[in-house]
Amino acid sequence: MPTSVDPQRLKLSPDDEGAGVLIGFECRECKVKVFGRATFCQSCTSNNLEPMEFSASGSLFSYTIIRVPPEGWPGPVPYLLGEVELPEGPHVLAEIIESQESDLTIGRPMELVIRSVKALRSDEERAVYKWRPAISVPANGKAKQ
Amino acid sequence: MNQALKQPRPGRDVMVAGVGLHQFGRFPNRDLASLAAASVVAALEDASVRWRDVSIAYFGHVYYHGMSVGETALSRLGLTGIPIINVENACSSGSTAFWQAYWGVASGMFDLALAFGAEKVPSGPVTVTSAESPDRFIGADHMMGGYALRMRRYMEETGAPASAFAQVAVKARRNGSLNPFAHRRQTYSIEEVLNSRLVADPLTLFQCCPTSEGAAAAIICARDALSRYNIDQSRSVRIAAACLTSGIYNGRGSDHSAFSPYRTEPAALQAYEMSGLGPEDVNLVQVHDAATIGELQQLEALQLIPYGEAWRATAEGRTALAGDIPTNTDGGLLAMGHPFGATGIRMIHETVTQLRREAGPRQVARARVGLAQCSGAGDVTTVHILTR
Repeated sequence: MPTSVDPQRLKLSPDDEGAGVLIGFECRECKVKVFGRATFCQSCTSNNLEPMEFSASGSLFSYTIIRVPPEGWPGPVPYLLGEVELPEGPHVLAEIIESQESDLTIGRPMELVIRSVKALRSDEERAVYKWRPAISVPANGKAKQ
Repeated sequence: MNQALKQPRPGRDVMVAGVGLHQFGRFPNRDLASLAAASVVAALEDASVRWRDVSIAYFGHVYYHGMSVGETALSRLGLTGIPIINVENACSSGSTAFWQAYWGVASGMFDLALAFGAEKVPSGPVTVTSAESPDRFIGADHMMGGYALRMRRYMEETGAPASAFAQVAVKARRNGSLNPFAHRRQTYSIEEVLNSRLVADPLTLFQCCPTSEGAAAAIICARDALSRYNIDQSRSVRIAAACLTSGIYNGRGSDHSAFSPYRTEPAALQAYEMSGLGPEDVNLVQVHDAATIGELQQLEALQLIPYGEAWRATAEGRTALAGDIPTNTDGGLLAMGHPFGATGIRMIHETVTQLRREAGPRQVARARVGLAQCSGAGDVTTVHILTR
């Protein structure tokens, strides 16, 4: 089973391969919700943080098609890059899959899926979060085939 | 605003005494230190000061060309024993070096300082994170991709057509065609800009700055020390504000909004306060136009044009050389190219050249107060205001 692409941002389900949830914290002092685990609140610098899990769906805030990929990109070229606004507030950038540009409009509901990705120049595999247009909204972010 | 972000306390009066550039472009047979040293020699000549009189130096650069490249470059002019500091602050490395040199003099510790910067940017997409970063798997780290996300939001929220962005590039190339130091001097029509190949939709190639090589340098001096170094006071330009800020949490994390004032406004407001001037006093502007959308967003965040209206102002010619807010008069990043370490000081070079009325065919008519804004990863913003 692949490891999480970033354990500070994606917690994989221990008993359900292919499922995972975006994680972060809610600051107990300033109440801000931040994507990505941390020790100190980026907004008010408090260390009084409550770990939290985010919704597995959100709305498309913006998108683009990357024609020339960054070095080390292990996926197809070109690829769709989407910025999704979670209902809790944070924005999350990831590849949009199972979609074409013509399917996309700003504000469209999107859902989280987890995919196993093999590194470009090694056998290393990582579980990576991606977006796709919402078909159904799974409660646990589990990838539906 | 964060309590930690304090209004800087002004020190003594500091002047730009001289500026110099090495041509921007591609120079496969010249190393980074050679480019850097050439710009320093040009700045020293412009200021008519001797290298052995300079008492501190700050060098901006990003990509690795060996350790202590600032020392390597300056050793070619002679080993004088002065403090030399290498500065990395992403695309704003050069302007950060200038900011540090300013404070070195303003504080009273030094009278004559050098800020310089150089870069040989590799071709291909620019990324912020290291090759081992999770973002390489996620695909989210792509500089022009980020600008494209902002551009789509800006179009959505303002109704600006694609041609409005192309006009920024057309203007940049027109200005650059009048500048012998520019990497790209060929002019283009709106149609040619829109029909150039897509980099990250809706951004086309000619709406993205080239990756470039080049160097820039500035000599700065305390006003009360100008005569001691026989510097021509009539050609020196006063630094009325020098401000630098980094990111402030915006409640969203990754954010590519049409308007993101938290990114530039804090430094701009500090600079207006420090100089005692307001946006209405500024009549010459250099901003960080790494992509066309960047110029529009920066003009708005600097409060020079209301939010959502910079694209109209561009279409009306207000940002052209003959307009009331002449912007990126030397061609900006879009035509000059963008050697990270040099760019911020290149903006100072153009501001000084215009304020001295030495800009030749691209001279603007009423340049009295010039503003230079430079951005870098980490939501770094520098804002400098220079006055004649």
